[in-house]
Amino acid sequence: MSDPLDALQAKVRALREEFERALGEARDPQGFQAVKDRFLGRKSGAVTGLLRSLAGLAEDARRDAGRELNALKQDIEARLDGAREALTARSRDERLAHERVDVTLPGRPPVLGRRHPLTVVREELEEIFLSMGYEVYDGAETDDDYHCFEALNMPPDHPARDMQDTFYVAGHSGALLRTHTSTGQIRYMLSNPHPPVVRIICPGKVFRRDDDITHSPMFQQVEALVVGPGITLGDLKGSIEAFLHALFGPQYPVRFRSSFFPYTEPSVEVDLGCIVCGGKGCRVCKGTGWLEIMGSGMVHPAVFEAVNARLGRMVYDPEEVTGFAFGLGIERVAMMKHGIDDIRLFYGSDLRFLEQFPA
Amino acid sequence: MKVLLSWLREFVDVRVETARLAEDLTLAGLAVDAVEGRGEDAVLDLDVTTNRVDCMNVHGVAREVSVLYGLPLKPLEASFAESGAASADTLEVLIEAPDLCPRFCARVLDVRLGPSPSWIRDRLEVVGVRPINNVVDLTNYVMIEMGHPSHAFDLARIPEGKLRVRWGREGERLTTLDGVARTLAPRVGVVAGMHEALALAGIMGGASSEVSETTRTVALEAAYWEPLAIRRAAKTLSLRTEASHRFERGADPEGPPVATARIAHLLQKIGAGTSRPGLIDSGGARRAPRTAQLRTSRVTLVLGTKVPEARGREILTGLGFRTRGREADAEVYEVPTWRGDVSREVDLVEEVARHHGLASIPSTVPPSRGVEGLRPWQVRERAVRETMVAAGLTEVASYSFVSEAEAAADPAPRVALRNPLSADQGVLRSSLVIPGLLGALRTNLRYGRRDVGIFEIGRVFGPGEPLPREERRLGILLSGAAMPAHWSQKARAADVFDVKGILDALAARLGLGALRVAPEGLPPFVHPGKSARILRGSEALGWLGALHPDLASAWELRDEAVAAEIALDGILAAPASPARFRPLPRFPEVSRDLSIVCDAASPAADVESRIHAAGGDLLRGVRVTDRYEGPPVPAGRVSLTVALRYHHPERTLAGEEVEESVDRVVRALRAAGAEIRGE
Ligand SMILES: [Zn+2]
Repeated sequence: MSDPLDALQAKVRALREEFERALGEARDPQGFQAVKDRFLGRKSGAVTGLLRSLAGLAEDARRDAGRELNALKQDIEARLDGAREALTARSRDERLAHERVDVTLPGRPPVLGRRHPLTVVREELEEIFLSMGYEVYDGAETDDDYHCFEALNMPPDHPARDMQDTFYVAGHSGALLRTHTSTGQIRYMLSNPHPPVVRIICPGKVFRRDDDITHSPMFQQVEALVVGPGITLGDLKGSIEAFLHALFGPQYPVRFRSSFFPYTEPSVEVDLGCIVCGGKGCRVCKGTGWLEIMGSGMVHPAVFEAVNARLGRMVYDPEEVTGFAFGLGIERVAMMKHGIDDIRLFYGSDLRFLEQFPA
Repeated sequence: MKVLLSWLREFVDVRVETARLAEDLTLAGLAVDAVEGRGEDAVLDLDVTTNRVDCMNVHGVAREVSVLYGLPLKPLEASFAESGAASADTLEVLIEAPDLCPRFCARVLDVRLGPSPSWIRDRLEVVGVRPINNVVDLTNYVMIEMGHPSHAFDLARIPEGKLRVRWGREGERLTTLDGVARTLAPRVGVVAGMHEALALAGIMGGASSEVSETTRTVALEAAYWEPLAIRRAAKTLSLRTEASHRFERGADPEGPPVATARIAHLLQKIGAGTSRPGLIDSGGARRAPRTAQLRTSRVTLVLGTKVPEARGREILTGLGFRTRGREADAEVYEVPTWRGDVSREVDLVEEVARHHGLASIPSTVPPSRGVEGLRPWQVRERAVRETMVAAGLTEVASYSFVSEAEAAADPAPRVALRNPLSADQGVLRSSLVIPGLLGALRTNLRYGRRDVGIFEIGRVFGPGEPLPREERRLGILLSGAAMPAHWSQKARAADVFDVKGILDALAARLGLGALRVAPEGLPPFVHPGKSARILRGSEALGWLGALHPDLASAWELRDEAVAAEIALDGILAAPASPARFRPLPRFPEVSRDLSIVCDAASPAADVESRIHAAGGDLLRGVRVTDRYEGPPVPAGRVSLTVALRYHHPERTLAGEEVEESVDRVVRALRAAGAEIRGE
């Protein structure tokens, strides 16, 4: 007769094989549960039954057989857990694979608007001047002869008026579209008749009867005015250099040359080293290496005198205060920065143009 | 103006490289636009500013060059021998209009007419003047050389040898040298014979007294004309010549005798004739010289750097100013007659600065006043722009002047221009949308772009005194798809709720409180069923809506265009009151949806306000989340789904409290004729 322990071990081996077969056939959680019930079920589980049958054995044999059967039970549980996890992982992977999207399809961009390229430049100029202590002063687009010409040392029939052919308002004695933002100089000084210290820029639209590739009947300027005791031509140079370096970068030289404007004396034209060729000479700078960028000068005493006369008292005493002014075209800056060759594009509302610039 | 280098060197022996000369002249205020040719034949193309008529000639430029390089300036040679009877025996000059002509000089020349020698013809051609005959060529040559225009009459063709300087007569006719028969006016000055006008004063000679092959005797005129008289006449006649260009900017009153003498000198030199004795000089009484004073301290004050007094004096005397002693701390200078642009101290400062060199003035910066900031309204204007950009709109800029025909859809009164460039730009815009943004849309449609979302911030104009009224506005226009087609969803066409939503976002961004819409009092150019006026409190801000189909078809629009236009000045000026913190709700919200079927004509806003009124304090929000018209909802009725939000600040809401409120809402809605379909 064989050792009962040997017989048990043979049964355990058989059960293991049977379990492996059953596990291999189980496909889903229910299948795993059925396998578990079949081998480990409380009532009819094969392993449970064997454990029960140990009661008749001697104590030593029972202990050994119990160890053997418990190991089998743990193995079955571990194998079942492993198989369940594997199944979960497999089905999750299948689900994820099923959820795949084609990430090469186009994204869904938010609709982006843009500021006008001239707005971008104007705000950049404003920021530079604000940081230099200038107030941004706003002026009307329609004005009168006094503020646009007469107070700026251009009496009627002054030849300089030809340089800026003027639009006049019909049925109106003196109303015109301002030809330059220099009107802001006069308007500001007249409305600020206190200690004569001025530091403003006046950006805005201006109008001249001109229409071609380099002239638009409407364009935008920024005028600057600095007035106070001891303001000099040296200050004009330093301030313009600081501004142009902030705008274009310090690598471009700035050149000052004598010129003529009725409302400044001395008058100074300002050139910037050509940003296209770096000063070697090219088509854009007509071979000179310089680009004309702005007009400037020391405020003509006649301008202060006109303001004082209108105020009816001496506020801006030309013996006590001096000042400088300068003005530049915003389109010109934008054209230089972006290499635009037709000024009229700015006012054409063509989205193919407007969408070319970061905003 | 073209200056031949070899001609220039007749008066100043400048030997620097031409490129250097061009640069130095440019920096001193005589901008050299281009240099053509090389060596002696080089030609400088100068852009002389309007104030420097004294530099619109070779000798004037030579004077500047002489000061630039400290070289002597050679005078014009003007000596000649006179022969025959006195000029005054055969020519008489009467100035009848001294307000036209303060000075008229003349000489009688006996000439042998023929071509000029080649050196004269060559020089004229190089600077762009066509040679004609030796007499005419000499007047041109001398004008280019020393600046003063002159004119040669055939003496035989001046009736009785009498010249009268007078104003033109209404309807008077004169055929000028260019062959044009002109009708004169009383504001046009003439040099006339006893009866007929012979020449346009200071502008152009006349055909009837023109020098020709048969001319033996010439009456040579060189006058000083009142700048304003010439300017007005040239404008009246739309005729600009080399002569008028100089006279209207103020020629040298001492120029006439010099010009006539120089012509006589050259005439003799080329063997083409001689001058009869004596200069006829009408009105040539000597004027008191003008003076201007200069304080060295003023130079320092304006320039910010010291220029030694001696250097200043050297510059000014080199330019022809003469020292006339001192007065207190100022040096008194006599202003040369050719410098009509100089009258006061600061003009002398500029002369010193030009020749001292702007480059030698050290750059400084004015004392710091710290950093400035934008004014509150400017900050808010930028916020408006940022909100529009964030909403996906692109900023455009249109002309302030528009076509009246295209603007006519807007009934607002408009301001017309007296002298527009064209009828297309004849009036100042009264609206940003009409026609500006509409035009922008049409432009882009023509380029094949259908989806357009644009805005503009700018001014519109209306009649006003003393100046036209200006108002800052925001205009918005959308057409085509608000959401472009995407593989995941169909395109959604822009409609009026896109515009309304953008304005709501703007109101939120600026802290304006809720905007109201009112469907009456609409402008005529909008779709009456898809538009509204926009109000903030009781203040009318503008309108929003779809453009009227008639307008859309007039503009050949394919899709509906929706737009809005609001006044900005008020809302930019409104003080931004700081937002007040509200404690966060500590208890969760409860929400309930109501399905309502009500009269389709009753505004959703009425339903909302009825719910608000009935809901009580715990009801914190009402929002329409769905809307449906069509079967099974009966015709004339509409189904709305409304979400109600409840919360209590201090405790969790009891179910009964919410139910009570919902019941009140339901009763109120039923009382107003609505059915409730499930809660
Ligand atoms: Zn260049």
